[in-house]
Amino acid sequence: MSDENKNCCSPETGEPTATRSAAPMWIIVVTLVLLFTGGLFLDSHSGWFDKNVYAPYKSQEQLEAFQPKSGAAAAMARGKSVYEGVCGICHGSDGAGKPGQFPALAGSEWVTAKGCNRLAHIPLAGVAGAIQVGGKDWNLNMAAMGAALPDEDVAAVLTYIRSSWGNKAEAVTADDVKKVRAEIGKSPQPYSGAQLKAMPE
Amino acid sequence: MNPTENKTMQCGCDAPVAGIGGEGAAATIDASCRVPLLALFGGAALWLVLGLALGLAAVMTFHKPDMFADCAFLTFGRAQAAANDLLLYGFAIPAALGVMLWILARLSQAPLALPIVPVVAANLWHLGVFIGTATILGGGSTGHPWLEYPRAAAVLLFAAFMLIAVCAVATMGSRTNGELYPSHWFFFAAILWFVWSYGSANIFLQSHQQPRGVVQAVIDWWLTNNLLFVWLALAGIGIAFYFLPKIAGKPLASRGYALFGLLTLVFFGSWVGIPQSAPVPAWLPTVSAYAGLLSLVSIVAIAIVTKKTVCGACVKCSGGPFCFIKFGMLSFVVSSLLYVSEFCPRYSRVLEFTWFNFGVTQWQLLGFAGMILCGAIYEILPRVMGKELPFTKLAKLNFFLFAGGTLLFVIPLLIGGVEQGMKLRDANIPFADASAVAMKFLRISTTGQLLVLLGALCLLLNILVMTLQWKLGLVKTVVGVVKDSLAEGSAYQPLPCDKEAKP
Amino acid sequence: MKTGFSVFLAAFVALGASWFGLVYGPLKQLGVATETKVLQSDAKWPLQRTGDATLGLQVYRSAGCAACHTEQVRQTGAANVLTITEIGSHQPTDLKGFINSLAGSVTELMNSSNAVAANLAGWNGELPKVLYSGADDTVVSMLGDKLKAVGVKTEARVVATGADIARGWGTRQSVAADYLYDAPVQLGNLRAGPDLATIGVRAPDVNWQLQHLYAPRSLVKNSTMPAFRFLFAVQKIGAQPAPDALVLPKEFAPADGYEVVPTAEAKQLAAYLLTLKNNAPLYEAPFTPITAAK
Repeated sequence: MSDENKNCCSPETGEPTATRSAAPMWIIVVTLVLLFTGGLFLDSHSGWFDKNVYAPYKSQEQLEAFQPKSGAAAAMARGKSVYEGVCGICHGSDGAGKPGQFPALAGSEWVTAKGCNRLAHIPLAGVAGAIQVGGKDWNLNMAAMGAALPDEDVAAVLTYIRSSWGNKAEAVTADDVKKVRAEIGKSPQPYSGAQLKAMPE
Repeated sequence: MNPTENKTMQCGCDAPVAGIGGEGAAATIDASCRVPLLALFGGAALWLVLGLALGLAAVMTFHKPDMFADCAFLTFGRAQAAANDLLLYGFAIPAALGVMLWILARLSQAPLALPIVPVVAANLWHLGVFIGTATILGGGSTGHPWLEYPRAAAVLLFAAFMLIAVCAVATMGSRTNGELYPSHWFFFAAILWFVWSYGSANIFLQSHQQPRGVVQAVIDWWLTNNLLFVWLALAGIGIAFYFLPKIAGKPLASRGYALFGLLTLVFFGSWVGIPQSAPVPAWLPTVSAYAGLLSLVSIVAIAIVTKKTVCGACVKCSGGPFCFIKFGMLSFVVSSLLYVSEFCPRYSRVLEFTWFNFGVTQWQLLGFAGMILCGAIYEILPRVMGKELPFTKLAKLNFFLFAGGTLLFVIPLLIGGVEQGMKLRDANIPFADASAVAMKFLRISTTGQLLVLLGALCLLLNILVMTLQWKLGLVKTVVGVVKDSLAEGSAYQPLPCDKEAKP
Repeated sequence: MKTGFSVFLAAFVALGASWFGLVYGPLKQLGVATETKVLQSDAKWPLQRTGDATLGLQVYRSAGCAACHTEQVRQTGAANVLTITEIGSHQPTDLKGFINSLAGSVTELMNSSNAVAANLAGWNGELPKVLYSGADDTVVSMLGDKLKAVGVKTEARVVATGADIARGWGTRQSVAADYLYDAPVQLGNLRAGPDLATIGVRAPDVNWQLQHLYAPRSLVKNSTMPAFRFLFAVQKIGAQPAPDALVLPKEFAPADGYEVVPTAEAKQLAAYLLTLKNNAPLYEAPFTPITAAK
C-alpha cells in the first residue's frame, strides 16, 4: 500500500476532472414527487398568503370560526337561528316571502320603520285582515308566532330582520319587547293593518 | 448515460495529468498566491482561535453564572454574538475565499490575476472584523443575529468581498481551457450569493429607515439561511469537489449529478430559514418547510457524488487533508439533514428555542466548513510556500482534536436540545427542570469546545510559524544580497529564484 | 454547464426568486403595516413605548438579552369552550341526562355528543364546569342557547391553546402586529431563560425586575442567568440611603455601609421589560378577552 504519511500522489497529479454522466432518473422523479406532495402541504397550510392567517389557523374561514362572539354578533347569530326556525318557513330565508301568500320582509316599511313599536306587536299578537305592505294590499292571517318566545329571542329576531337583506334599521332590545308584551296583555287578538297604523311608531 | 466508474484506476503518480504544463507552471501559480493567501489564512486562523476562545468564555456563564458579572464586555449576550460572528466572518469566509482564489488560479492554469487586490481586500476584511468584534463587545451590536456588525464594519466587509470577487473573476477570465469544472459553478454562485444577500440585508437593516416590525426578523432569517446554509455549502462543496478527486486520484463522480446538486441547492435551499412558529403569517413558515423538504434532494445528490468519488480511492489519510475533507463532507450531510429537520413542522415544535439550533449551527461552521477549510489550508500552504508544514504532527493532531472535539461539542447539544424541547412542550414540567436537563449536556459540550480550541491553536501555530519563516527568509535574502553587493563592489548579482515546489 | 454566464444566470434567478419571496414579499405585506385595533374595542395596538422604555429596548439589545430569552409566545391550537356557570334549580344528575339526550338528538350536536358525555362523566355539580372544548362554534352557541332556555347559565369563550399558554406565558400567540414599534425586533432564538413576551404582566413590579437583574439567584433558585452587576453601582451610603437603593437578602447585599443603586441603564431596561404585555386579543390572534365580573 502507499506510504502512510503522505497522500498517495505526491507530487502534483494535475487538476481533477469529472466524468461526463448525467444525474440519474430516479432522483429527478423523487424531486418531482416531493414537489407535488410539498405542494399539497403548501395548499393546506399556507392560508394562501393571507396576512391575517397565522399558524395554527389554516384559512380565513377557520379564523372566523374562532372569533369570539360579542354582544352584537351574538344577537345576530341568535336572531338568525330563531328566524330560520320560526319565521323563515313562511317569509323565506331570504326574506322575500311568497307572492300572494306571505309578504316580503326585505324592504318592508313595517320592518325598517324608525321605531320598533308597531313591528314588535306583529309577532307578539299576530296580524289578521287587511294590511298594506310595500304598496300592495294583503289580506293576512298570521298567528302570534313570537308569543311563546322569550323577550331576548324576539328582540334578536327583530334585530336580525331589521339589518338583513338590505334592511338598515336600529336594533331592538329585549326591554322594548318586554314593554310591548306588557302592553298587549296575555292573550291579545291579532291586529289589522289599520290598528297597527294607529299605534305610535 | 451510466456514469463510468473507473474502479481499477491506478493510484500513483502516473495517473493522467490534465494538461498541466509541468511542475514549473504549478509553482508559478502557487507563488503568485503566496501573499494573498497568507494574508487571508493568517487572519482567519487568528480569528478562529479568538472566536473559539470567546465562545468558551461565553458558555462558562452557564457553569459559573457570576463569572463576568462585573465585566460588561464578556456578558453572555455580547460574547456569544461576537464569537459566532468571528467564526463566520472572521474565519470561514476569508479562509474560503483564499482557498477559492487558489483553486481558481490552478483550474485556470494561470497565475492569480491582480495579486495585490486580494491582499488589500484581506486587510480591509480583517479590519472590518476587528471593528465589528470590538463594537459588539462594547455594546454596539445591531441586535440582529449574525448581522451584529455596525455599518462601518459591514461596509468594509462588503468592499473587501467585492475586491476579491473582481480578482476571482479576472483569474477565471484568464483561463485557457474553455470548459468549466464543477467547482467553478459553485464558486461563481458563492460570489454572487454573498454580494447580493449580504448587501441587500445590510441595506435594509442598517439604513436609517429600517423596515418596521417583524420584517426585520424575516430579512435576518433569510440572510442567516443564505449564509450559514447555502453559502457555506457552495464554498465547502466547491472546495471538496476539487480536492477529493485530486487527492483520491479519481475523477469526480459525475458532472450531471454535481450540477443537479448545485441547482437544487440554490433553487430550494435559499427559501429555507423561516422558523415554523415565527410571528408571521402562515405562508412564510410553510414555504420554508416546503423548501426544506426539497433541499433533502440536494443533500442526497451531493452525498452520492461524494461517496462515489471517495469510495474505492486507494489513499490512506491518517489525519491528513483527505481526512479533513472527508469528515467535512460527512458533516455536511449530517448537519444539513439536521438543519432541514428544524423546519419540518412536526419536529420544530420540539426543537425550537432549544440548544439544538446552536448545535447544528456549530456543526455547520466547525464540523463542515472548518474541517474542509482546514484540510484545504494544509493541502495548499506547503505548495504555496514551497516547503513542508513546520509541525506536521500538530497538523495530524489538529484533525483528531477537531473531529473529536466537534462531535463532543455538538452531539450533547443536539441531544440536550431535544430533551429540553420535549420538556418545554409539557406545561406541567416547570421551566427550571427543562433548563436543568440541558445544563447536564452543556458540561460535556464545553469539553468538546476546549478540544476544538486546542486544534485551532495547532492551525494558528502552523500558519504563524510558516509566515515567520518565510518573512525571515525574505529578510535573510535581502540582507544577503545587500552584503554580497557591498562585498563584491559593483558586480551585479541576480536575486536567487524561489525554490521549486517540493512535495 | 459550459459557460460562466449560464451558471451566473441560474444562481441569479434562484437568489432573485428567494429574494422576491422572502424579502420583497414580506416587505410589501408586513412592512407597510400600521396600527391595528384590539378585538371588540377601539383601543389601538400595539402601544407605543415612551421615555425610559424606548431606551430600555436599546439596553436589551446592547446587553444581548435576546441570546437567552425569546419574546414570542407560541400557540398550537384554539378552542371554543362552553362552561356552565350556574345551574339554577336543576339537579346535576338530571342536567347530565338532559344534556346527553340533547347532544344525542339534535343533528348539529351529534358529532360532539361523545366529547360532551366524557366531560360530564363524574360531574358532581361543582362549578364552573367545562362542557365542551373544541373547534365547532355552532355547537357552543346551540348548546348554550338550549341550556339558557331551561335556565342554566353558560359562558362561551374562545381560548388559545398550547404549551406556552398553559405555562402562563401568554394568552395568545405573538403576531406581526405586536412588534410594529420594535427597533430592532428582539425575537430571540433560545430559551435558556423563560419567554418574556408577557413579563410585564407576570412580574409587573419594577423592584422585582431590578433585583432580578442584579442578583438573579436571590429570586430564582438555580437560575443560570448571569448577574448584571455592571448595570448597577455600589456606593457608600451617604447621609441618607438613596431612595432607589435595592433591598437585597443578606447573601447578596453589599458590605455594611454600602448600597446598590441602579444606573440609568438598569432603570431603562426594567421600564422596557414592564412594557412587554402581549395580552390584547386581535383579529388574527383571537381569544375572548377577560372582562371584569358584572
